[in-house]
Amino acid sequence: MGNKNSNASSRRNFIKKIASGSLITVSGLTIYSVSSCEKSTEGEKATLLTPDGKLVQVLKSEIESFELLPVSPKESRKGIPGKKFVMVVDLAKCKNARKCVKHCDKHHNLTPDRPYIKVLEMKDNEKSAPYWMPKKCFQCDNPPCVKVCPVGATFKRTDGIVLIDNERCIGCRFCMAACPYSARIFNWATPPNVDEDLSYSPETSIPSKIGTVGKCDFCPDMIRKDKLPHCITACPNGVLYFGDEIDDTVTNGEETLRLSTLLREKAGYRYLEELGTKPRVYYLPPVDRLFPFNKENAKEEES
Amino acid sequence: MKKSIPEKQLFNSTKERDLLGHIVKTSIRYKIWVAILLLFIVFGMYGYYRQIRYGLIVTAMRDYTSWGIYISNFVFFVAVSLVGSLFSSILKLNKNEWAKPLIRISEIIAVAAIICAAVIIIIDMGRPDRFIYVFKFGRIQSPIIWDVIIISTYLVISFILLYISLLPDIAICRDRLTAIPKWKKKLYKIAAINWSNQPEQVLIIKKIGRILGITVLPVAFAIHTVTSWLFATTWRPGWDSTNLGPYFVSGAFMVGAAVIIFAMYFVRKYLNLKSYITTTHFDHMGKLLVLLSLVYFYFNINEYLGPAFKMVGVEGEHITELFVGKYAPMYWLVQIFGLVLPIVFLLFKNLRKPVPIVIISAFVILGAWFKRFLIVIPSLQHPYLPIQGVDESYLHYIPTWEEWAITMASFASLLLIITILIKLFPVIPIQELENPIEETSNESKKLKNEIH
Amino acid sequence: MKYIKYLFIRVLKITTLVGLVFMSTTQIYAQDNTKEDALISLDFTEKNNIKTIKATVTNKIGEPVEELDLYFFVKRTFSLLPIGDVFNTTDENGEVEVEFPKDLPASDTEGSVVILVKILESDLYNDLTVETTKKWGVPISDKEYHQQDERSLWAAAANAPMSLIVSISIMILSVWYVIFYILYKLYIISKIKPSKL
Repeated sequence: MGNKNSNASSRRNFIKKIASGSLITVSGLTIYSVSSCEKSTEGEKATLLTPDGKLVQVLKSEIESFELLPVSPKESRKGIPGKKFVMVVDLAKCKNARKCVKHCDKHHNLTPDRPYIKVLEMKDNEKSAPYWMPKKCFQCDNPPCVKVCPVGATFKRTDGIVLIDNERCIGCRFCMAACPYSARIFNWATPPNVDEDLSYSPETSIPSKIGTVGKCDFCPDMIRKDKLPHCITACPNGVLYFGDEIDDTVTNGEETLRLSTLLREKAGYRYLEELGTKPRVYYLPPVDRLFPFNKENAKEEES
Repeated sequence: MKKSIPEKQLFNSTKERDLLGHIVKTSIRYKIWVAILLLFIVFGMYGYYRQIRYGLIVTAMRDYTSWGIYISNFVFFVAVSLVGSLFSSILKLNKNEWAKPLIRISEIIAVAAIICAAVIIIIDMGRPDRFIYVFKFGRIQSPIIWDVIIISTYLVISFILLYISLLPDIAICRDRLTAIPKWKKKLYKIAAINWSNQPEQVLIIKKIGRILGITVLPVAFAIHTVTSWLFATTWRPGWDSTNLGPYFVSGAFMVGAAVIIFAMYFVRKYLNLKSYITTTHFDHMGKLLVLLSLVYFYFNINEYLGPAFKMVGVEGEHITELFVGKYAPMYWLVQIFGLVLPIVFLLFKNLRKPVPIVIISAFVILGAWFKRFLIVIPSLQHPYLPIQGVDESYLHYIPTWEEWAITMASFASLLLIITILIKLFPVIPIQELENPIEETSNESKKLKNEIH
Repeated sequence: MKYIKYLFIRVLKITTLVGLVFMSTTQIYAQDNTKEDALISLDFTEKNNIKTIKATVTNKIGEPVEELDLYFFVKRTFSLLPIGDVFNTTDENGEVEVEFPKDLPASDTEGSVVILVKILESDLYNDLTVETTKKWGVPISDKEYHQQDERSLWAAAANAPMSLIVSISIMILSVWYVIFYILYKLYIISKIKPSKL
């Protein structure tokens, strides 16, 4: 009886152990599968090549995120090969939200009196309705500013972008007189909040220098990282499209369209085409407006 | 520092005393004059120090009116510098004998004006520390580089023209002036380059004077035309005009003639040269000024009639502002008192006497300076795209005290250079009066036969 | 009494155990998508100059999937360009055909384009992207890819128009030649000794 009992009890104990063990395992698995929704890379290693040509294994957590250093002034004179950048502005959607101005000012360290982008209230004639027109440098293909620069401080690249090298500019302001679109601003005083540690690149246009000229640069530093310029992504209404003329595509961050189709279907035009400067920014006329024109918008956004 | 004059000065003739006297004698009036000029210059330098330290923000120039009175002053100085070519080239080749005594002073003014023009343009630069880049990285496609080339060329030519006209007189100074300090004696000796009135030397100097007199004319036309291209190659209303080259050049000759009359009066008065710069000279200059003003008046009509008739967009706004708007008072004062009335008044012989004509010339010069202001600034305030969302100060341009101080200093420098050159050298060519170099072709042939 | 207590405890334990197991399995299953994996196979045909992409969607067991929206893209510089119609839905055979545009520029000089076909936000199937490269684009001309600087007014200093360089050089050289000639003549003057008269 005792034996039988002890046998029975040991069997029971065994079963109990198995049951509790499986319970623990199952709950453990549950907990594991719940927690494994966020996979941790702790302990994961990456293989890297050192400058000496050796392969080393390093913990991924030890590697800091690596930002591409901005391109030197000499290198920035060559364009990104195989591209010709173009911008399209859909005037039907612009509400004067000025987020483009805000983000551009922030990333280029500008003050409100020296904006690269100006959003102008335009009225084509007495009877037509007013509309908002964001205007920046048109990166012309026949640029008057580049023609008149005596020292070549502003230059046209093969990818269509016109940049300024603030380490060469002598501050004669002839380019400002020559630009018919008033696209350029000048650093009359020492620019505030200048981070001297930044290495200067014409592609980032920071840090600005006193006595030199500045303008919208189509953010080549972002383009090199395959990202869109700041104003394109900042616009809440999808007004600004950016893309490459060679692969015939523009995007505003949400929708991607073929440039030729867009310009054909929406009658894209260039501002003051008759001047012969061949701008690289196209405008889509303000028909079928998304928002009614409201002068109050400007005051709202600025407050 | 009192200089001890060991020797007494003796002159061979009254002519010599009249024309060389001022080199020897330094009057109190001269010292006060130089002191006043230096005061203006020092004040201007303080203004420039502030500009270097704080940047161009100390001026009233902002993003739309990005060029101001520095540029209009530059255009004015380049205009004045054309007077050298007027006398050394046009009048000389035209064999206007009455103009001969005035050649020296016109070249002096030309050299001084061109130097001041170069200085004022460096002052306008945002980064003058990078001035060398203009030569190191210069782009031949830029109108500014063309202007740099032609200004330096014209400066060299004007200087050589002045020197050629001066050379025989420097030799006279070297030979006849005794009561002068040692450094002056040395200066004349070196500058006279062994001039001893040899026939061969005379021949050479005649020849090169004629060559240079012909060469300077296209260069002079080019210098002001290229300066006008700084404006004509842009799309600004009032600048985008095919008429701008002749308009600028004719205006330059007019203001040059007025400056000569102005200088003539004061040189004549303070150096006692009444018998050398006679009322006839004023009469001739008056007629010349009328002629040049009529030409300028013609180009003025051309410049404004076309745009006013069409009133195209921003050009229409610009013309409205000049004729009846913000700049109307300045515009009409300049046109009437600086152009139309002088033409009318100078048609009367009585008003071509020294005192009236110098007053009229003063108005012409003042009108010309403000005309250049009207050429440069209003056009910048009418770009194609509307000026919106900027500070009130962007819409007006009222020069600050630093800009005025620097502008006054540039005028003071001009006068100072002229004063120093007049003090060092005879202002009326002596050699020409004593031994007229102008010979008939027979005589020069005779000389050539003698030499060989 | 004691037996009932034991029974009760044991039932409790079993219930708890079963309950936990049941909950955990349902939890595990609840985390996992109830969606299936689908497979896309692509077929590229070119007939009469018309390029067509045929996509066939099958589920795990090889049956065609119908009424599924597929999204066709071509990879561009910053984003993906959609091609095809607004809705590309598979038919009862799990197939859908999309015409590839004739005049789409390629990404390089050989005419390569990267074509992507995606299942996005479908209720029944997991997101899937299938990517291939085909030489169906219009090749970028070599001239555009390696842009050479031509001489122009807006080019760098070294690429000024030849006519400008030539005319300015002639003008400068002629005037300065005269200037140097005159300076030379002045030097000659300085060398002429006074005659002993």
